[in-house]
Amino acid sequence: MARRPSPVVWLLAPWALIYGTFFVFPFLFSFALCFLDYNPLNVANTSFVGGQHFARLIHDENFHGALRNTLFFVVGTVPVTTTLALALAWLLRGPLPMKNVLKAAMFLPSILSVVVIALLFKLFYAPGGALNETLRVLGLSGHTWLTDPATALPAIMAMDVWAAVGYYALVLYAAFTAIPESLYEAAELEGAGAWATFRHVTFPMLKPAIGFVLVINTIRSFQVFVEVLVMTQGGPLGSTNTMVLMLYDTAFRRLDYGYASVIAYAVFALSGVFSVLAMRRMRAQTPAQTRSVPA
Amino acid sequence: MKRAGRWLLLVAAVLLMAYPLGWMIAVSLRTPDGLSLRFYGEVWSAGPFDRYFINSLVVAAVVVTGNILFCTMAAYAFARYRIRGAKFLFFLVLSTIMLPKQVILVPLYILMQRMGLIDSYWALTLPFLVDPFNIFLIRQYLLSIPTDCEEAARIDGAGELSILFRVVFPMLTPVLAVVAIHTTLTNWNSFLFPFILTNSTDMRTLPVGLALLSQGAHSIDWGHLMAGAVISALPVVIAFLIFQRRIIGGLTTGMTR
Repeated sequence: MARRPSPVVWLLAPWALIYGTFFVFPFLFSFALCFLDYNPLNVANTSFVGGQHFARLIHDENFHGALRNTLFFVVGTVPVTTTLALALAWLLRGPLPMKNVLKAAMFLPSILSVVVIALLFKLFYAPGGALNETLRVLGLSGHTWLTDPATALPAIMAMDVWAAVGYYALVLYAAFTAIPESLYEAAELEGAGAWATFRHVTFPMLKPAIGFVLVINTIRSFQVFVEVLVMTQGGPLGSTNTMVLMLYDTAFRRLDYGYASVIAYAVFALSGVFSVLAMRRMRAQTPAQTRSVPA
Repeated sequence: MKRAGRWLLLVAAVLLMAYPLGWMIAVSLRTPDGLSLRFYGEVWSAGPFDRYFINSLVVAAVVVTGNILFCTMAAYAFARYRIRGAKFLFFLVLSTIMLPKQVILVPLYILMQRMGLIDSYWALTLPFLVDPFNIFLIRQYLLSIPTDCEEAARIDGAGELSILFRVVFPMLTPVLAVVAIHTTLTNWNSFLFPFILTNSTDMRTLPVGLALLSQGAHSIDWGHLMAGAVISALPVVIAFLIFQRRIIGGLTTGMTR
Protein backbone atom coordinates (compact mmCIF):
# COMPACT_ATOMS: atom_id res chain seq x y z
CA MET A 1 0.00 0.00 0.00
CA ALA A 2 2.93 2.27 0.67
CA ARG A 3 3.69 2.40 -3.04
CA ARG A 4 1.00 5.06 -3.51
CA PRO A 5 1.71 7.66 -0.85
CA SER A 6 -0.36 10.43 -2.40
CA PRO A 7 -3.71 9.74 -0.66
CA VAL A 8 -2.00 10.06 2.70
CA VAL A 9 -1.34 13.72 2.04
CA TRP A 10 -4.96 14.70 1.47
CA LEU A 11 -6.25 12.28 4.08
CA LEU A 12 -4.13 13.93 6.75
CA ALA A 13 -4.29 17.48 5.39
CA PRO A 14 -7.49 18.76 7.12
CA TRP A 15 -6.47 17.31 10.45
CA ALA A 16 -2.86 18.53 10.19
CA LEU A 17 -3.95 22.00 9.15
CA ILE A 18 -6.52 22.47 11.91
CA TYR A 19 -4.54 20.71 14.61
CA GLY A 20 -1.38 22.56 13.64
CA THR A 21 -3.02 25.99 13.58
CA PHE A 22 -5.30 25.71 16.59
CA PHE A 23 -3.37 23.39 18.86
CA VAL A 24 0.34 22.96 18.04
CA PHE A 25 0.94 26.64 17.31
CA PRO A 26 -0.91 27.96 20.41
CA PHE A 27 0.85 25.31 22.47
CA LEU A 28 4.31 26.44 21.33
CA PHE A 29 3.20 30.07 21.69
CA SER A 30 2.06 29.40 25.27
CA PHE A 31 5.52 28.15 26.06
CA ALA A 32 7.09 31.30 24.64
CA LEU A 33 4.58 33.49 26.51
CA CYS A 34 5.95 32.19 29.83
CA PHE A 35 9.12 34.18 29.17
CA LEU A 36 7.53 37.30 27.72
CA ASP A 37 5.92 40.41 29.05
CA TYR A 38 2.98 40.47 26.66
CA ASN A 39 0.17 42.99 26.93
CA PRO A 40 -2.49 42.67 24.22
CA LEU A 41 -3.12 46.42 24.26
CA ASN A 42 0.55 47.15 23.68
CA VAL A 43 1.94 44.28 21.63
CA ALA A 44 4.76 46.39 20.16
CA ASN A 45 6.30 46.66 23.62
CA THR A 46 6.53 42.92 24.16
CA SER A 47 9.78 42.13 25.93
CA PHE A 48 11.72 39.08 27.01
CA VAL A 49 11.73 38.80 30.81
CA GLY A 50 13.44 35.44 31.29
CA GLY A 51 12.35 33.58 34.41
CA GLN A 52 10.80 36.66 36.00
CA HIS A 53 7.23 35.29 35.87
CA PHE A 54 8.33 32.07 37.55
CA ALA A 55 10.07 33.96 40.33
CA ARG A 56 6.96 36.08 40.79
CA LEU A 57 4.79 32.97 40.99
CA ILE A 58 6.85 31.51 43.82
CA HIS A 59 6.41 34.63 45.94
CA ASP A 60 2.82 35.47 44.95
CA GLU A 61 0.56 35.34 48.03
CA ASN A 62 -2.46 35.26 45.77
CA PHE A 63 -1.12 32.19 43.99
CA HIS A 64 -0.30 30.49 47.30
CA GLY A 65 -3.96 30.88 48.29
CA ALA A 66 -5.17 29.56 44.93
CA LEU A 67 -2.75 26.64 45.13
CA ARG A 68 -3.85 25.81 48.69
CA ASN A 69 -7.52 25.91 47.71
CA THR A 70 -6.97 23.80 44.60
CA LEU A 71 -4.93 21.17 46.48
CA PHE A 72 -7.59 21.09 49.21
CA PHE A 73 -10.22 20.62 46.52
CA VAL A 74 -8.34 17.77 44.81
CA VAL A 75 -7.31 15.97 48.00
CA GLY A 76 -10.75 16.45 49.51
CA THR A 77 -12.83 15.29 46.53
CA VAL A 78 -10.92 12.68 44.53
CA PRO A 79 -10.57 10.02 47.29
CA VAL A 80 -14.17 10.59 48.45
CA THR A 81 -15.58 10.36 44.92
CA THR A 82 -13.54 7.22 44.19
CA THR A 83 -14.57 5.48 47.43
CA LEU A 84 -18.26 6.32 46.96
CA ALA A 85 -18.09 5.28 43.29
CA LEU A 86 -16.55 1.98 44.32
CA ALA A 87 -19.31 1.44 46.88
CA LEU A 88 -22.04 2.26 44.34
CA ALA A 89 -20.45 -0.03 41.74
CA TRP A 90 -20.29 -2.82 44.30
CA LEU A 91 -23.96 -2.32 45.21
CA LEU A 92 -24.89 -2.49 41.52
CA ARG A 93 -23.44 -5.94 40.81
CA GLY A 94 -25.64 -8.91 40.03
CA PRO A 95 -29.26 -8.88 38.92
CA LEU A 96 -31.33 -6.07 40.45
CA PRO A 97 -34.82 -4.74 39.73
CA MET A 98 -34.85 -1.60 37.55
CA LYS A 99 -31.10 -1.76 37.17
CA ASN A 100 -31.06 0.26 33.95
CA VAL A 101 -33.12 3.03 35.55
CA LEU A 102 -30.69 3.19 38.45
CA LYS A 103 -27.71 3.29 36.09
CA ALA A 104 -29.31 6.01 33.98
CA ALA A 105 -30.12 8.10 37.06
CA MET A 106 -26.52 7.79 38.27
CA PHE A 107 -25.17 8.79 34.89
CA LEU A 108 -27.48 11.79 34.45
CA PRO A 109 -25.37 14.47 36.23
CA SER A 110 -22.38 13.74 33.99
CA ILE A 111 -24.25 14.75 30.84
CA LEU A 112 -25.19 18.13 32.32
CA SER A 113 -23.13 21.25 31.72
CA VAL A 114 -21.03 22.36 34.68
CA VAL A 115 -22.81 25.71 34.41
CA VAL A 116 -26.20 24.04 34.93
CA ILE A 117 -24.86 22.04 37.88
CA ALA A 118 -23.24 25.10 39.45
CA LEU A 119 -26.45 27.14 39.20
CA LEU A 120 -28.46 24.23 40.49
CA PHE A 121 -26.30 24.10 43.60
CA LYS A 122 -26.14 27.84 44.00
CA LEU A 123 -29.90 27.55 44.45
CA PHE A 124 -29.55 24.39 46.53
CA TYR A 125 -27.32 26.21 49.04
CA ALA A 126 -29.17 29.56 48.91
CA PRO A 127 -31.30 30.91 51.77
CA GLY A 128 -34.68 29.34 51.09
CA GLY A 129 -32.99 26.70 48.91
CA ALA A 130 -33.44 22.96 49.19
CA LEU A 131 -30.73 22.39 51.78
CA ASN A 132 -31.74 25.15 54.19
CA GLU A 133 -35.45 24.35 53.81
CA THR A 134 -34.75 20.70 54.61
CA LEU A 135 -32.71 21.68 57.65
CA ARG A 136 -35.54 23.95 58.78
CA VAL A 137 -38.09 21.15 58.48
CA LEU A 138 -35.77 18.95 60.55
CA GLY A 139 -35.63 21.68 63.19
CA LEU A 140 -32.02 22.62 62.48
CA SER A 141 -30.76 26.11 61.76
CA GLY A 142 -29.81 27.03 58.21
CA HIS A 143 -26.61 28.58 57.00
CA THR A 144 -25.42 30.87 54.20
CA TRP A 145 -23.12 28.19 52.84
CA LEU A 146 -21.57 30.08 49.93
CA THR A 147 -20.95 33.39 51.71
CA ASP A 148 -19.11 31.97 54.71
CA PRO A 149 -15.36 31.53 53.97
CA ALA A 150 -15.33 28.41 56.14
CA THR A 151 -18.06 26.56 54.23
CA ALA A 152 -17.92 27.95 50.66
CA LEU A 153 -15.18 25.67 49.32
CA PRO A 154 -16.43 22.50 51.10
CA ALA A 155 -19.91 23.23 49.69
CA ILE A 156 -18.50 23.40 46.16
CA MET A 157 -16.52 20.22 46.82
CA ALA A 158 -19.65 18.37 47.94
CA MET A 159 -21.30 19.47 44.71
CA ASP A 160 -18.37 18.13 42.69
CA VAL A 161 -18.65 14.74 44.38
CA TRP A 162 -22.38 14.72 43.60
CA ALA A 163 -21.74 15.57 39.96
CA ALA A 164 -18.88 13.12 39.36
CA VAL A 165 -19.63 10.03 41.44
CA GLY A 166 -22.21 8.41 39.15
CA TYR A 167 -20.00 8.46 36.08
CA TYR A 168 -17.05 6.92 37.89
CA ALA A 169 -19.33 4.37 39.55
CA LEU A 170 -20.39 3.16 36.11
CA VAL A 171 -16.78 3.01 34.90
CA LEU A 172 -15.88 0.89 37.94
CA TYR A 173 -19.04 -1.18 37.52
CA ALA A 174 -17.92 -2.04 33.97
CA ALA A 175 -14.61 -3.20 35.44
CA PHE A 176 -16.48 -5.22 38.11
CA THR A 177 -18.43 -7.15 35.48
CA ALA A 178 -15.17 -8.03 33.72
CA ILE A 179 -13.87 -10.01 36.74
CA PRO A 180 -14.20 -13.72 35.93
CA GLU A 181 -16.66 -15.59 38.15
CA SER A 182 -14.09 -18.39 38.58
CA LEU A 183 -11.96 -16.14 40.79
CA TYR A 184 -14.83 -15.78 43.25
CA GLU A 185 -15.47 -19.52 43.17
CA ALA A 186 -11.80 -20.14 43.95
CA ALA A 187 -11.96 -17.68 46.85
CA GLU A 188 -15.08 -19.38 48.18
CA LEU A 189 -13.42 -22.80 47.95
CA GLU A 190 -10.57 -21.50 50.06
CA GLY A 191 -13.10 -20.23 52.60
CA ALA A 192 -12.45 -16.52 52.13
CA GLY A 193 -14.98 -14.19 53.79
CA ALA A 194 -16.62 -11.19 52.14
CA TRP A 195 -13.94 -8.70 53.20
CA ALA A 196 -11.05 -11.03 52.35
CA THR A 197 -12.62 -11.69 48.93
CA PHE A 198 -12.90 -7.97 48.28
CA ARG A 199 -9.37 -7.31 49.45
CA HIS A 200 -7.61 -10.13 47.68
CA VAL A 201 -9.75 -10.72 44.59
CA THR A 202 -11.96 -7.75 43.73
CA PHE A 203 -9.65 -4.88 44.64
CA PRO A 204 -6.52 -6.18 42.84
CA MET A 205 -8.60 -6.90 39.73
CA LEU A 206 -10.06 -3.39 39.86
CA LYS A 207 -6.74 -1.63 40.34
CA PRO A 208 -6.24 -0.59 36.70
CA ALA A 209 -9.78 0.84 36.52
CA ILE A 210 -9.36 2.62 39.86
CA GLY A 211 -6.06 4.00 38.59
CA PHE A 212 -7.82 5.30 35.48
CA VAL A 213 -10.57 6.91 37.56
CA LEU A 214 -8.03 8.53 39.90
CA VAL A 215 -5.99 9.95 37.04
CA ILE A 216 -8.80 11.48 34.99
CA ASN A 217 -10.55 12.79 38.09
CA THR A 218 -7.31 14.32 39.39
CA ILE A 219 -6.59 16.06 36.10
CA ARG A 220 -10.18 17.31 35.91
CA SER A 221 -10.20 18.49 39.53
CA PHE A 222 -7.01 20.50 39.19
CA GLN A 223 -8.84 22.48 36.52
CA VAL A 224 -11.81 23.43 38.73
CA PHE A 225 -12.98 26.82 37.51
CA VAL A 226 -16.48 27.16 36.06
CA GLU A 227 -18.15 26.09 39.32
CA VAL A 228 -16.26 28.76 41.23
CA LEU A 229 -16.82 31.45 38.61
CA VAL A 230 -20.57 30.85 38.60
CA MET A 231 -21.10 30.27 42.32
CA THR A 232 -18.69 32.52 44.24
CA GLN A 233 -16.26 34.20 41.80
CA GLY A 234 -13.44 33.16 44.10
CA GLY A 235 -14.94 34.75 47.20
CA PRO A 236 -15.70 35.19 50.00
CA LEU A 237 -12.28 36.58 50.96
CA GLY A 238 -10.52 34.49 48.32
CA SER A 239 -11.60 31.29 50.04
CA THR A 240 -12.67 29.66 46.77
CA ASN A 241 -10.03 31.18 44.49
CA THR A 242 -8.52 28.33 42.42
CA MET A 243 -5.53 28.19 40.11
CA VAL A 244 -7.56 28.26 36.89
CA LEU A 245 -9.78 31.08 38.20
CA MET A 246 -6.59 33.03 38.92
CA LEU A 247 -5.33 32.17 35.41
CA TYR A 248 -8.56 33.55 33.96
CA ASP A 249 -8.36 36.70 36.09
CA THR A 250 -4.70 37.29 35.25
CA ALA A 251 -5.22 36.86 31.52
CA PHE A 252 -8.61 38.38 30.83
CA ARG A 253 -9.09 40.93 33.60
CA ARG A 254 -5.49 42.07 34.17
CA LEU A 255 -4.37 41.31 30.58
CA ASP A 256 -1.11 39.85 31.88
CA TYR A 257 -0.80 37.06 29.30
CA GLY A 258 2.76 36.04 30.15
CA TYR A 259 2.10 35.48 33.82
CA ALA A 260 -1.16 33.68 33.02
CA SER A 261 0.75 31.20 30.86
CA VAL A 262 3.07 30.42 33.74
CA ILE A 263 0.03 29.68 35.92
CA ALA A 264 -1.31 27.37 33.19
CA TYR A 265 1.94 25.41 33.26
CA ALA A 266 1.79 25.22 37.05
CA VAL A 267 -1.64 23.58 36.74
CA PHE A 268 -0.26 21.25 34.07
CA ALA A 269 2.82 20.29 36.14
CA LEU A 270 0.87 19.67 39.36
CA SER A 271 -1.86 17.59 37.73
CA GLY A 272 0.84 15.63 35.90
CA VAL A 273 2.76 14.88 39.11
CA PHE A 274 -0.39 13.84 40.98
CA SER A 275 -1.65 11.59 38.19
CA VAL A 276 1.70 9.84 37.84
CA LEU A 277 1.67 9.21 41.61
CA ALA A 278 -1.86 7.82 41.44
CA MET A 279 -1.00 5.62 38.46
CA ARG A 280 2.15 4.26 40.14
CA ARG A 281 0.29 3.24 43.29
CA MET A 282 -2.46 1.51 41.39
CA ARG A 283 -0.26 -0.32 38.89
CA ALA A 284 1.99 -2.01 41.45
CA GLN A 285 1.49 -5.80 41.68
CA THR A 286 -1.56 -6.01 39.46
CA PRO A 287 -0.21 -8.13 36.57
CA ALA A 288 1.57 -10.61 38.84
CA GLN A 289 -1.53 -11.18 40.95
CA THR A 290 -3.84 -11.72 38.03
CA ARG A 291 -1.45 -14.30 36.63
CA SER A 292 -0.89 -16.18 39.89
CA VAL A 293 -4.60 -16.97 40.22
CA PRO A 294 -5.63 -19.96 38.09
CA ALA A 295 -8.38 -18.99 35.68
CA MET B 1 -25.34 -7.97 51.80
CA LYS B 2 -28.83 -9.10 50.85
CA ARG B 3 -30.10 -8.07 47.46
CA ALA B 4 -33.03 -6.10 48.87
CA GLY B 5 -30.69 -4.14 51.14
CA ARG B 6 -28.37 -3.31 48.27
CA TRP B 7 -31.28 -2.24 46.14
CA LEU B 8 -32.72 0.01 48.83
CA LEU B 9 -29.34 1.63 49.41
CA LEU B 10 -29.00 2.29 45.68
CA VAL B 11 -32.47 3.76 45.45
CA ALA B 12 -31.70 6.01 48.42
CA ALA B 13 -28.46 7.16 46.75
CA VAL B 14 -30.22 7.85 43.46
CA LEU B 15 -33.02 9.79 45.18
CA LEU B 16 -30.42 11.85 47.02
CA MET B 17 -28.76 12.57 43.69
CA ALA B 18 -32.08 13.48 42.07
CA TYR B 19 -33.09 15.83 44.89
CA PRO B 20 -31.35 19.01 43.63
CA LEU B 21 -32.59 18.27 40.09
CA GLY B 22 -36.18 17.98 41.27
CA TRP B 23 -35.83 21.25 43.17
CA MET B 24 -34.56 22.96 40.01
CA ILE B 25 -37.60 21.86 38.01
CA ALA B 26 -39.98 22.84 40.83
CA VAL B 27 -38.53 26.36 41.06
CA SER B 28 -38.67 26.81 37.27
CA LEU B 29 -42.38 25.95 37.22
CA ARG B 30 -43.55 27.80 40.35
CA THR B 31 -44.69 31.23 39.16
CA PRO B 32 -46.60 33.85 41.19
CA ASP B 33 -49.81 32.62 39.53
CA GLY B 34 -49.36 28.92 40.16
CA LEU B 35 -47.59 26.24 38.16
CA SER B 36 -46.93 27.40 34.61
CA LEU B 37 -44.35 27.56 31.85
CA ARG B 38 -44.30 31.36 32.05
CA PHE B 39 -40.61 31.60 33.05
CA TYR B 40 -39.71 29.33 30.15
CA GLY B 41 -41.50 31.53 27.63
CA GLU B 42 -39.95 34.71 29.02
CA VAL B 43 -36.40 33.42 29.21
CA TRP B 44 -36.78 31.85 25.74
CA SER B 45 -37.63 35.07 23.94
CA ALA B 46 -36.06 37.71 26.18
CA GLY B 47 -33.17 35.64 27.61
CA PRO B 48 -32.54 35.39 24.63
CA PHE B 49 -32.36 31.63 24.92
CA ASP B 50 -33.80 31.11 21.45
CA ARG B 51 -30.66 32.67 19.98
CA TYR B 52 -28.34 30.73 22.35
CA PHE B 53 -30.17 27.54 21.47
CA ILE B 54 -29.70 28.05 17.73
CA ASN B 55 -26.02 28.91 18.25
CA SER B 56 -25.45 25.77 20.33
CA LEU B 57 -27.25 23.70 17.70
CA VAL B 58 -25.28 25.13 14.76
CA VAL B 59 -21.95 24.81 16.56
CA ALA B 60 -22.64 21.23 17.67
CA ALA B 61 -23.74 20.21 14.16
CA VAL B 62 -20.64 21.68 12.51
CA VAL B 63 -18.23 20.30 15.11
CA VAL B 64 -19.73 16.80 15.01
CA THR B 65 -19.70 16.74 11.19
CA GLY B 66 -16.12 17.99 11.13
CA ASN B 67 -14.96 15.39 13.61
CA ILE B 68 -16.70 12.54 11.80
CA LEU B 69 -15.25 13.57 8.46
CA PHE B 70 -11.73 14.73 9.30
CA CYS B 71 -11.02 12.28 12.12
CA THR B 72 -12.12 9.37 9.93
CA MET B 73 -9.79 10.53 7.15
CA ALA B 74 -6.84 10.88 9.52
CA ALA B 75 -7.62 7.61 11.32
CA TYR B 76 -7.85 5.82 7.97
CA ALA B 77 -4.44 7.14 6.97
CA PHE B 78 -2.90 6.14 10.32
CA ALA B 79 -4.49 2.67 10.25
CA ARG B 80 -4.06 1.66 6.62
CA TYR B 81 -0.92 3.32 5.31
CA ARG B 82 2.63 2.79 6.34
CA ILE B 83 3.95 6.28 6.95
CA ARG B 84 7.40 6.81 8.34
CA GLY B 85 7.26 8.06 11.93
CA ALA B 86 3.46 7.75 11.97
CA LYS B 87 3.33 5.65 15.10
CA PHE B 88 5.49 8.09 17.00
CA LEU B 89 3.50 11.05 15.71
CA PHE B 90 0.24 9.33 16.58
CA PHE B 91 1.19 8.67 20.19
CA LEU B 92 2.65 12.13 20.57
CA VAL B 93 -0.70 13.57 19.51
CA LEU B 94 -2.56 11.17 21.76
CA SER B 95 -0.49 12.18 24.79
CA THR B 96 -1.62 15.80 24.38
CA ILE B 97 -5.12 14.71 25.40
CA MET B 98 -3.81 14.78 28.96
CA LEU B 99 -2.78 18.42 28.63
CA PRO B 100 -5.04 20.85 30.49
CA LYS B 101 -6.83 22.87 27.81
CA GLN B 102 -6.19 26.08 29.76
CA VAL B 103 -2.59 26.02 28.53
CA ILE B 104 -3.65 27.03 25.03
CA LEU B 105 -6.48 29.33 26.12
CA VAL B 106 -4.53 32.60 26.05
CA PRO B 107 -2.52 31.94 22.86
CA LEU B 108 -5.63 30.68 21.07
CA TYR B 109 -7.42 33.87 22.05
CA ILE B 110 -4.53 35.99 20.73
CA LEU B 111 -4.50 33.95 17.49
CA MET B 112 -8.23 34.30 16.98
CA GLN B 113 -8.04 38.01 17.64
CA ARG B 114 -5.21 38.41 15.14
CA MET B 115 -7.22 36.45 12.55
CA GLY B 116 -10.21 38.68 13.26
CA LEU B 117 -12.34 35.68 14.14
CA ILE B 118 -13.29 36.54 17.73
CA ASP B 119 -17.06 36.51 18.23
CA SER B 120 -17.86 34.44 15.15
CA TYR B 121 -18.99 30.90 14.35
CA TRP B 122 -15.43 30.31 13.11
CA ALA B 123 -14.07 30.85 16.61
CA LEU B 124 -16.70 28.53 18.06
CA THR B 125 -16.06 25.68 15.62
CA LEU B 126 -12.65 25.73 13.88
CA PRO B 127 -10.45 24.83 16.89
CA PHE B 128 -12.71 21.90 17.83
CA LEU B 129 -13.08 20.16 14.46
CA VAL B 130 -10.49 17.44 15.11
CA ASP B 131 -10.37 15.88 18.55
CA PRO B 132 -7.34 13.54 18.75
CA PHE B 133 -9.30 11.18 20.96
CA ASN B 134 -11.79 10.60 18.15
CA ILE B 135 -8.94 9.76 15.75
CA PHE B 136 -7.71 7.27 18.33
CA LEU B 137 -11.15 5.64 18.70
CA ILE B 138 -11.71 5.31 14.95
CA ARG B 139 -8.18 4.04 14.31
CA GLN B 140 -8.55 1.34 16.97
CA TYR B 141 -11.84 0.28 15.40
CA LEU B 142 -10.33 0.24 11.91
CA LEU B 143 -7.46 -1.97 13.06
CA SER B 144 -10.02 -4.50 14.30
CA ILE B 145 -11.83 -4.92 10.96
CA PRO B 146 -10.27 -6.86 8.05
CA THR B 147 -9.12 -5.08 4.90
CA ASP B 148 -10.75 -7.62 2.52
CA CYS B 149 -13.55 -5.33 1.35
CA GLU B 150 -11.16 -2.48 0.69
CA GLU B 151 -8.79 -4.79 -1.23
CA ALA B 152 -11.68 -6.15 -3.30
CA ALA B 153 -12.81 -2.63 -4.16
CA ARG B 154 -9.25 -1.67 -5.04
CA ILE B 155 -8.97 -4.64 -7.42
CA ASP B 156 -12.24 -3.55 -8.99
CA GLY B 157 -10.48 -0.29 -9.75
CA ALA B 158 -12.14 1.95 -7.17
CA GLY B 159 -10.23 5.12 -6.29
CA GLU B 160 -9.06 5.81 -2.72
CA LEU B 161 -11.76 8.42 -2.26
CA SER B 162 -14.60 6.08 -3.10
CA ILE B 163 -13.05 3.24 -1.08
CA LEU B 164 -13.01 5.47 1.98
CA PHE B 165 -16.50 6.89 1.59
CA ARG B 166 -18.34 3.97 -0.06
CA VAL B 167 -16.64 0.97 1.55
CA VAL B 168 -15.00 1.99 4.84
CA PHE B 169 -17.40 4.65 6.06
CA PRO B 170 -20.48 2.39 6.29
CA MET B 171 -18.52 -0.18 8.29
CA LEU B 172 -17.61 2.46 10.88
CA THR B 173 -21.18 3.20 12.01
CA PRO B 174 -20.82 1.84 15.58
CA VAL B 175 -17.67 3.79 16.38
CA LEU B 176 -18.92 6.92 14.61
CA ALA B 177 -22.02 6.81 16.81
CA VAL B 178 -19.75 6.91 19.87
CA VAL B 179 -17.76 9.75 18.30
CA ALA B 180 -20.95 11.71 17.53
CA ILE B 181 -22.35 11.25 21.04
CA HIS B 182 -19.08 12.05 22.78
CA THR B 183 -18.47 15.12 20.63
CA THR B 184 -22.02 16.42 20.97
CA LEU B 185 -21.97 16.13 24.77
CA THR B 186 -18.58 17.81 25.19
CA ASN B 187 -19.44 20.55 22.76
CA TRP B 188 -22.98 21.23 23.97
CA ASN B 189 -21.76 21.62 27.55
CA SER B 190 -18.53 23.44 26.78
CA PHE B 191 -18.17 26.75 28.63
CA LEU B 192 -14.63 28.10 28.92
CA PHE B 193 -13.59 28.42 25.26
CA PRO B 194 -16.93 29.72 23.92
CA PHE B 195 -17.01 32.16 26.84
CA ILE B 196 -13.56 33.56 26.04
CA LEU B 197 -13.87 33.47 22.24
CA THR B 198 -17.16 35.37 21.96
CA ASN B 199 -18.35 38.66 23.40
CA SER B 200 -21.72 39.62 21.92
CA THR B 201 -25.09 38.27 23.03
CA ASP B 202 -25.73 37.10 19.47
CA MET B 203 -22.79 34.67 19.51
CA ARG B 204 -23.22 33.12 22.96
CA THR B 205 -24.00 29.44 23.34
CA LEU B 206 -26.39 28.03 25.96
CA PRO B 207 -23.93 27.42 28.84
CA VAL B 208 -22.33 30.84 28.34
CA GLY B 209 -25.68 32.63 28.06
CA LEU B 210 -26.91 30.84 31.15
CA ALA B 211 -23.83 31.79 33.18
CA LEU B 212 -24.19 35.42 32.08
CA LEU B 213 -27.87 35.46 33.02
CA SER B 214 -26.85 34.42 36.52
CA GLN B 215 -24.36 37.31 36.78
CA GLY B 216 -26.49 40.00 35.20
CA ALA B 217 -29.22 40.82 37.67
CA HIS B 218 -28.69 42.56 41.02
CA SER B 219 -30.82 40.09 42.88
CA ILE B 220 -31.02 36.57 41.56
CA ASP B 221 -34.21 35.68 39.77
CA TRP B 222 -34.23 31.94 40.43
CA GLY B 223 -37.38 31.16 38.45
CA HIS B 224 -36.04 32.44 35.14
CA LEU B 225 -32.56 31.12 35.85
CA MET B 226 -33.78 27.59 36.53
CA ALA B 227 -36.02 27.70 33.45
CA GLY B 228 -32.91 28.64 31.45
CA ALA B 229 -30.99 25.79 33.07
CA VAL B 230 -33.71 23.30 32.15
CA ILE B 231 -33.78 24.59 28.55
CA SER B 232 -29.99 24.14 28.35
CA ALA B 233 -30.09 20.63 29.74
CA LEU B 234 -33.23 19.31 28.08
CA PRO B 235 -31.83 18.45 24.62
CA VAL B 236 -28.98 16.35 26.03
CA VAL B 237 -31.24 14.74 28.61
CA ILE B 238 -33.72 13.73 25.88
CA ALA B 239 -30.87 12.45 23.69
CA PHE B 240 -29.53 10.57 26.69
CA LEU B 241 -32.87 8.89 27.38
CA ILE B 242 -33.10 7.78 23.73
CA PHE B 243 -29.51 6.57 23.29
CA GLN B 244 -29.00 5.62 26.92
CA ARG B 245 -27.43 2.21 26.44
CA ARG B 246 -25.06 3.40 23.76
CA ILE B 247 -24.00 6.48 25.74
CA ILE B 248 -23.26 4.59 28.94
CA GLY B 249 -21.53 1.80 27.00
CA GLY B 250 -19.55 4.16 24.80
CA LEU B 251 -18.44 6.53 27.51
CA THR B 252 -17.51 3.97 30.11
CA THR B 253 -15.69 1.57 27.78
CA GLY B 254 -14.23 4.41 25.72
CA MET B 255 -13.26 5.55 29.21
CA THR B 256 -13.02 9.26 28.71
CA ARG B 257 -15.11 12.30 28.14
